[in-house]
Amino acid sequence: MSGRHAITLVATREIRERLRSKAFIASTLLIVALLAVSAVIGRLFDPQQTFDYAVTAPAPAGLATALQGAAEPFDDAKVKLRTVDSAAAGRRLLENGDVDALLLLPTDRLVFRKNVDVQVAAVADTAIRAVRNELPPEPELTTATLHAPDDEPGDAALLVAYAGSLLLFMSLAFYGQWVISGVVEEKNNRVVEVILSAVRPRDLLAGKVIGIGSLGLAQLVLVVGFAVGLLVGGVFDAPASLGADVALVVPWFVLGFALYAVAYAVAGALASNQQNAETAAQPVTYALLTVYFGSYIVLAADPEGPLASLLTVFPLTAPLVLPARSALVGVPLWQHGLAILLVVAAIVALVRFAGRVYALGLLHGGSGLGLRAAWRIAREH
Amino acid sequence: MPSPMVGRLGNEMIGEIGDRCGARRPPRRSAMTMLNVDAIGKRFGPVTALDGCSFTVERGRMLGFLGPNGAGKTTTMRAIFGLVELDGGAVLWDGDPIGPVERLRFGYMPEERGLYPRMRVGEQLAYLGRLHGLDAHDAHAAASDWLTRLGLADRAGAKVVELSHGNQQRAQLAAALVHTPELLVLDEPFAGLDPVAVRTLAQVLRDEAARGVAVLFSSHQLDLVEEICEEVAIIDRGRIVAEGSLDALRRASERRRIALRLDGAPPEWEPEIRGVDVVERANGDLRLLVDRDVEPQAVLAAAERTARVVGFSYGPPSLAELFLELVER
Repeated sequence: MSGRHAITLVATREIRERLRSKAFIASTLLIVALLAVSAVIGRLFDPQQTFDYAVTAPAPAGLATALQGAAEPFDDAKVKLRTVDSAAAGRRLLENGDVDALLLLPTDRLVFRKNVDVQVAAVADTAIRAVRNELPPEPELTTATLHAPDDEPGDAALLVAYAGSLLLFMSLAFYGQWVISGVVEEKNNRVVEVILSAVRPRDLLAGKVIGIGSLGLAQLVLVVGFAVGLLVGGVFDAPASLGADVALVVPWFVLGFALYAVAYAVAGALASNQQNAETAAQPVTYALLTVYFGSYIVLAADPEGPLASLLTVFPLTAPLVLPARSALVGVPLWQHGLAILLVVAAIVALVRFAGRVYALGLLHGGSGLGLRAAWRIAREH
Repeated sequence: MPSPMVGRLGNEMIGEIGDRCGARRPPRRSAMTMLNVDAIGKRFGPVTALDGCSFTVERGRMLGFLGPNGAGKTTTMRAIFGLVELDGGAVLWDGDPIGPVERLRFGYMPEERGLYPRMRVGEQLAYLGRLHGLDAHDAHAAASDWLTRLGLADRAGAKVVELSHGNQQRAQLAAALVHTPELLVLDEPFAGLDPVAVRTLAQVLRDEAARGVAVLFSSHQLDLVEEICEEVAIIDRGRIVAEGSLDALRRASERRRIALRLDGAPPEWEPEIRGVDVVERANGDLRLLVDRDVEPQAVLAAAERTARVVGFSYGPPSLAELFLELVER
């Protein structure tokens, strides 16, 4: 039997047995439900928007009504219109934040303070057309800003970054726990000796990681797909372009899981008979926790600093840092490439090591094998 | 090892039963030889587990693998399945080294039993069958056949953890047999079985051997081995100290057993002949082990001088006596 056939059989068994446990289906439904509820709650508690405009006198007749009409599609947002004597007075209001935009009708310009708000601009444009009885497509108004737009990450980007890395962290830890409890169970009730009499250790390891990883991936794709759908559908108050950053979570789950699941499996194989899965998992879980909080702190402090760049490509941190940083400030293409290259190299190295110590650890009863002893044995053979 | 059994066995057996036993002959590679454990060695740190252990199991034969605890039985069995990396020697199948492909035709029941506790029995057996290369249909059919044969058909849908201890043992046996192996390796298969289960298992092993399977099993229940096996290999401190047909090994022993039933003998009576040891004494029944050159008539005469002899038998030692003779420290 080929290794691939054995891997498929092992992976299929993992999937079938775990799907039967109902925990998987329940947890998936729970996450999707939480996401839907958070979207609904977000909408319920979203205060009605108000668009504040200033216009230089004299304001065209019917502009206020036209603005209100144009704002209707935006959840009936309220519109306030002030008439100012001069463009200078209007700019002062804009600087103070009293209005969102200043209409300079003599030049058909719409001025913002720093960043152009597309909704505010769209409402003004529609209203002016209505007043002038003109039809699209030519835009009536050109937009301008008083100051150079800044590129501070918006609230939505922050949310995507932190929710994304939290989701990744939790998925890695959760499914990693499944891997290690599966390994410890096989080891402690000795079924592994029967399995290993027919299957090579690395095929058993690969099948287990691939099977459980596929379940995790399926769940993540469902959750992330749902989130991207909500985002693109405009349910969240966030630019749809962030959908790509959300979707980045999926490939990095695959890479991150391959790395951490193998580590979990080795920890399980080396565990002693007395250890349960939780204690055996501790070294890997602590490493994952450290990576998660460490990268959170680094990204919160300076998402564009050299340390953040380093963590973006470092194999252990890349799976959590890269998608988050991509949402926050964007990641250059070369760093994407380097991160993938390094994490794949790390996975290959870890799988080789795991393939050697896995069988030794699994068949070694009693006190368990220390990592150092396992390494020594792996080098000897 | 106090008894230089191997050497003497080797010398004596040549005339008597050819090369049937003796540990130092070169490995046989006849077409009939299936499993050939060839001078395997293994050290665990300072402990030598296997020290040049060699024996063979032929197709259609059942070999009882005996030895004291820690002698190397389990390590040898694991070595057949590549579960320990050997320091020396080799395990051969039809003369070739054993790899993953050959192992798929072997069935294994490890000393420490284990199946997936929450997996259904029938599915588990089918899964193991498929891991050994059966397709899905054949694997399910074989699983169901074995469950029926072992009286577990109505428990196929139960999880292993829901089975009684005895039924778990049967499921474990089915797990070793489901893919119709050519070699069966069973580590202490009789341990913990009730007499009914022992009889069932013994019959299964006989049937498998009759089907042409090479069967290797270890056991401490020597009377049982004597009953169902024709051949044994005895391992001590990682070396085979005797191998061959049970009859030949017993006949080749340096010792003979004498059973005496005396009427009216003094309680502490002994024959007082050189080379005669009383190993058991109860209510006038005596069991003696005597050197092979001791004349049984001399023992009988000595007994008749002191009491009325109502029973007397002379013959080769039992397997248990032979075992103790070979591995006594």
